[in-house]
Amino acid sequence: MKLEDIKKLADLARIDISENEMEGLAKDFDPILAYVGQVQEALKISSMNDSSDKKPEDYFLHNVMREDEVTNNRGEYTDKILADAPDIQDGFLKVKQIL
Amino acid sequence: MIDLKNLTIEKAHESLKRGEYTVTDLVNEYLKVINEKNGEINAFLEIYDDVLLQAKKAEEMFKNGTATLMTGIPMALKDNILFDGHIASASSKILENYKATYDSFVVKKLKDQGAVFLGRTNMDEFAMGSSTETSAYGVTRNPIDPTRVPGGSSGGSAAAMAANMSLVALGTETCGSVRQPASFCGLVGLKPTYGVLSRSGIIAMGSSLDQVGPLGKNIEDVEILFNAINGYDPKDSTSIPDDMRVNKIKPIKKRIGVPREFLKGEGIDSEVLKNFEESCEKLKNAGYEIVDVSLPSIKYSLAVYYIIMPAEVSSNLARFDGIRYGLSEEGNNLLDVYKKSRGNGFGKEARRRILLGTYILSHGYYDAYYNTAVKVREMIKRELLNMYLDVDAFITPTVPFLPFKLGEKLNDPISMYLCDIFSAPANLADLCSISIPSGKTKEGLPFGLQITAPFLREDILFTIGKDFEKLV
Repeated sequence: MKLEDIKKLADLARIDISENEMEGLAKDFDPILAYVGQVQEALKISSMNDSSDKKPEDYFLHNVMREDEVTNNRGEYTDKILADAPDIQDGFLKVKQIL
Repeated sequence: MIDLKNLTIEKAHESLKRGEYTVTDLVNEYLKVINEKNGEINAFLEIYDDVLLQAKKAEEMFKNGTATLMTGIPMALKDNILFDGHIASASSKILENYKATYDSFVVKKLKDQGAVFLGRTNMDEFAMGSSTETSAYGVTRNPIDPTRVPGGSSGGSAAAMAANMSLVALGTETCGSVRQPASFCGLVGLKPTYGVLSRSGIIAMGSSLDQVGPLGKNIEDVEILFNAINGYDPKDSTSIPDDMRVNKIKPIKKRIGVPREFLKGEGIDSEVLKNFEESCEKLKNAGYEIVDVSLPSIKYSLAVYYIIMPAEVSSNLARFDGIRYGLSEEGNNLLDVYKKSRGNGFGKEARRRILLGTYILSHGYYDAYYNTAVKVREMIKRELLNMYLDVDAFITPTVPFLPFKLGEKLNDPISMYLCDIFSAPANLADLCSISIPSGKTKEGLPFGLQITAPFLREDILFTIGKDFEKLV
């Protein structure tokens, strides 16, 4: 894999990575991708391959989410949760200007 | 002096009940060993400051008659399991000072039963590794041979057990992270059926694969701990509802499969194979029929795993942004804050896996990797379900080689990934699987036998495991 591809991935993943490490990653990726690429071969050889397009109901899938309703009192957990936040002001998370 | 080496949950419970010693006495014995040994082993990252308070609460339960088997049992928690008000860092710099704001389901259950949490144990960062060497807080050493790794990612929990610094422990698995360190440290480690133990309050790695797992010195302790923490949890959307958990203990066929062609792969140690053949003989002597089974797709399990896992990692770890909690670095603008916080907060292996997952999920590669892996995962599941029509379980060695030296595989990702080759089928197919000690080398390094049973049939693992335990 080329260094510029790794740079693009690091940008997409929002991670600062040193040039040096990116070069190492570019080298690591080829054998890893060659190894995981074996999966394509699996589809060809297995007698268990089921290529039919299954619909969600074929897997007995159903909605497990609860209704979206308020289950706690306003502000009940605010202080506890904000105690972990790096920067806060008046009960809000503070971030850099974005516009 | 309490004989910690041979102590089991039941023995401790009987002694506590009879008043031979108090919970505080027992906890102090463990704290003494931790003081002596943790400096070298680095199994615990922190001893909780309220340990003795927890012990007092457990003592109350003995006094008022509400004590159960887990009451007063000193245990270790892997550093990715939330315990309200205590730090859970996933052994990452990005969560160094993160204090849990709630209890994980498993901790809540154990708290209600009066278990005593001694502290949090070291692990590979975000559970990414097989040797506990990727932790941001130093390596953990194997108490059996401190020049070797304890396995991983739950290496701290396993090492704490092996050094008698804890009676039982909890780890977590995404692919072998409880079974493999159990094998490397001469312990029993269980990967329960996917959905049996709630993932609520467990720091996520690969959500379709993650599962909490108990570690113990023997099957019985693991079974007691497993029973103490299982149950339906509405806060985990993949938790198995109670009506599907009804006790369906059926007689077993006493037929065990060996996937022969899977054992012929590259890189499997001949000593490990020899020990495995001996284990097969022992099971035969215990009245089990050992038959060859053909599972042509499972050799692709690890490749499938190394696509699905990084894909899920890149999504799960997107939440660490330096804004809501965790490490936050100064930057010129919001994007800069994200990039610097994530760049400095994540270690090398986490960065590698996030990038790999980003690649696998990116436009143009999604079909070739992720979609194909999902299809092959279904094939593997079907193949295994088919096999279980004929046998109760299948067996392999837990790990293809013996505990290796510190640093030996750290710079060779593929060779490190191969640790998980025999673990992957159970995680991909949602099955339950256990590692049991199966003897030692001349130098005293432990071997492990892995037994894998169908969905919700932990009872089969415990039955075969107890029969096997008597013979080792």
